[in-house]
Amino acid sequence: MRRIIGFKGKSKSRIVATAAVTVAALVATIGLGTSTSSAAFKTADANTGKLVYWFWGESDIPGSTAWMQDAIKRYQAIHKGLTIELVPQNSDTLQGAFETTAQSKSGPDIAMQWATLPVLTPVWRGQVASLKGLVPPAEMANWLNTSENVSGGESWAMPLYLLGQPFVWNKALFKKAGLDPNKGPKTWKEFLATCAALKKAGITPVVVGDKDGFFGSWFQGTIGTQNLNSVKELQDVYAGKAKFTDSKYSDYLTKLAELKAKGYINSDVTSIDLTQGWQAFAQKKGAMTWTTDGNVATWIKAGMGADLGVQSVPKVGTGKLASFYTATQSISAYITSWSKNKQAAANFLVWLHQPENVKSWYTTTGSFPADKRFSASLIKDPVMKALYKLNTQPNQLWAQNYAPPQVDSQGLQPAAQGVLAGTSTAKQAAAAIQKAIDAWRTQQPKDLAAYKKWAGV
Amino acid sequence: MKSDQLISVGTATNSRRSERWPYLFIVPMVLIILLVFVYPLIAVVRNSFYSGSISNLSFIGTANYVNLLRDDVFVHAIVNNIKLLLTVPITTLISLAAALILYENIRGWKLYRVILFLPYIIPAAVVGLSFSYLLQGNGILNTALRNVNLDFAALDWIGSTTLSIYSIGAVIIWSQFGFGVVVLTASLLSLPTEVSEAALVDGASRWQRQRFVIIPQIKETVQFLMVLQAITALAWVFPYIYTITKGGPANSSMVMDLYIWQYGFSLGAVGMASAAAVYLLALSGVLILIYSRMRKRQSERR
Repeated sequence: MRRIIGFKGKSKSRIVATAAVTVAALVATIGLGTSTSSAAFKTADANTGKLVYWFWGESDIPGSTAWMQDAIKRYQAIHKGLTIELVPQNSDTLQGAFETTAQSKSGPDIAMQWATLPVLTPVWRGQVASLKGLVPPAEMANWLNTSENVSGGESWAMPLYLLGQPFVWNKALFKKAGLDPNKGPKTWKEFLATCAALKKAGITPVVVGDKDGFFGSWFQGTIGTQNLNSVKELQDVYAGKAKFTDSKYSDYLTKLAELKAKGYINSDVTSIDLTQGWQAFAQKKGAMTWTTDGNVATWIKAGMGADLGVQSVPKVGTGKLASFYTATQSISAYITSWSKNKQAAANFLVWLHQPENVKSWYTTTGSFPADKRFSASLIKDPVMKALYKLNTQPNQLWAQNYAPPQVDSQGLQPAAQGVLAGTSTAKQAAAAIQKAIDAWRTQQPKDLAAYKKWAGV
Repeated sequence: MKSDQLISVGTATNSRRSERWPYLFIVPMVLIILLVFVYPLIAVVRNSFYSGSISNLSFIGTANYVNLLRDDVFVHAIVNNIKLLLTVPITTLISLAAALILYENIRGWKLYRVILFLPYIIPAAVVGLSFSYLLQGNGILNTALRNVNLDFAALDWIGSTTLSIYSIGAVIIWSQFGFGVVVLTASLLSLPTEVSEAALVDGASRWQRQRFVIIPQIKETVQFLMVLQAITALAWVFPYIYTITKGGPANSSMVMDLYIWQYGFSLGAVGMASAAAVYLLALSGVLILIYSRMRKRQSERR
């Protein structure tokens, strides 16, 4: 009560003064904000100002972050008025972090997602700027695999490198099991026979990690599409024109269950993640695995080259896609729709594809640039030569990128984990994937409509 | 109007004004509460009736709530949260036992209390990552078990669909146990010693003193601790789950907060995430209601 009486008298004027100061501060803050944004606007479309680049690549291509940091330094030295902040991203949070930042329309000027659906989903949500008008068509004509990120006749993202998914084996372990070290299994029958021989010799035939679920998607992409005749047939199942429980889609789960039941896959497959699985392969804890070019390049650098055999996955199905190799531009860089420096961002992306950078990318990381100007004569290692040949063959597809991200994370991945953990049958897993497809179709009607339009279904 | 009437009206107006002034003081706090708690809550409830991403929402009524109940993964997530509630009595019991031992003034009890508290101050993500390596199929724990010929006990702790959620529960108990010990020890130390000493003079055994004299006096602290732990088990287990199993294998260790994160942030399906958050809020609300009832009943008895 005393305080109130005191307040009533003297402090009334103080309150008014405080309120006036607060209002003035607010006005000043708003004014400052306006001037900042107008300053940013003035720098638009020039190689000045600041760009924030959310970068991902280390998991595919070890050493790629360091290369990008160096490239940024060189670019900033050319364009003194431009600052590029590189923010490395994690695989686990790549899609989630972008979706979160997109909700507030703030954050990166350049972001990255895996090609096709992971890029096109934010495109359809209005979060990505088209490259039309930002990148000259003559420049874009040099980029490889751009078709993976085309929607509505426009290209939305820049490829940085090519990524193949080779099937790899350890020649020394093959030899130990009495197998021909220079010959990988070409058919499912041969694959099972190879597994049996390795197991008999006390060697774990296949070593992979699937705690993060990615291997489940990869197995579907490499083995599960082999009974299909076209990409359209693959899109049909997500668009609702076909059922995943149809054996031509789900037969791969039977094969996965067979590997598990026969003890041909490492026992800790569901408690280690994909990267740990590769580490186990490098430590000779298993004879065969599914991996990426980037990892093969790293293993070669580590002196494992002589022991590595690489090829496409064994042929399992009878569809036309059985002869396709699993390759993609992998991660794609795009400019966000809210970026105030779109042209500066596009100029930087174009610069990354200039011949000296294309060459430097390869010599530093050992990964193949997604650019026609790359000279294959630079590849000296026979294993890498074989991989480049696979990556540039005309028939290639990375099927995981055609699955809506929700179906991938809620269907393909957990279903395969269930099979690998020994708690789901192939039939139950196929039904679970169909249920995830149905859930996505019900819960995301706008994404479904965009998907159908894009797929022409 | 007469002058004395005017004075009376003036005084009444002044009095009303002076009554209003205190409310002005709380306006900033009320605004902050509205902005930080009420607005997000209203936004969550509102979004739960929409589908699509946040920038592109469409009204779909109660479809998200219906879809959630039809979703086996969500139902499984609720069941898992309920399973994790089992950690509450276990953590409380062992915390209480440890606190009672420390209360007996054993030599070095302060040091023991610090050691027991250490797991609680380690960030949950660090705890999760460490245990994810420790509990792998061929991880440190199983390697140690195999080395001492206990192969039968070397189970697939986090890679098995049946064991994963219980393994996480054990990690949560390990992590939360220290907090319980510190809270209960503090409560025990604040008790008057006369009652316990009187019981000792009357010939009560150690067990009898603990069971009938000491524990009843810290009953309210125990209840409070249990409510805190229950809320942790319902809504704060995300970092453990995410770092140890990522909700797998095959969604076997999925819980509600990870489910909400997946839909809301990873997939951008804000409506589904919001509806799931409303269910979680309701479940937490029920718990708080039970606790309030218990408190009310106790104060009525007094």
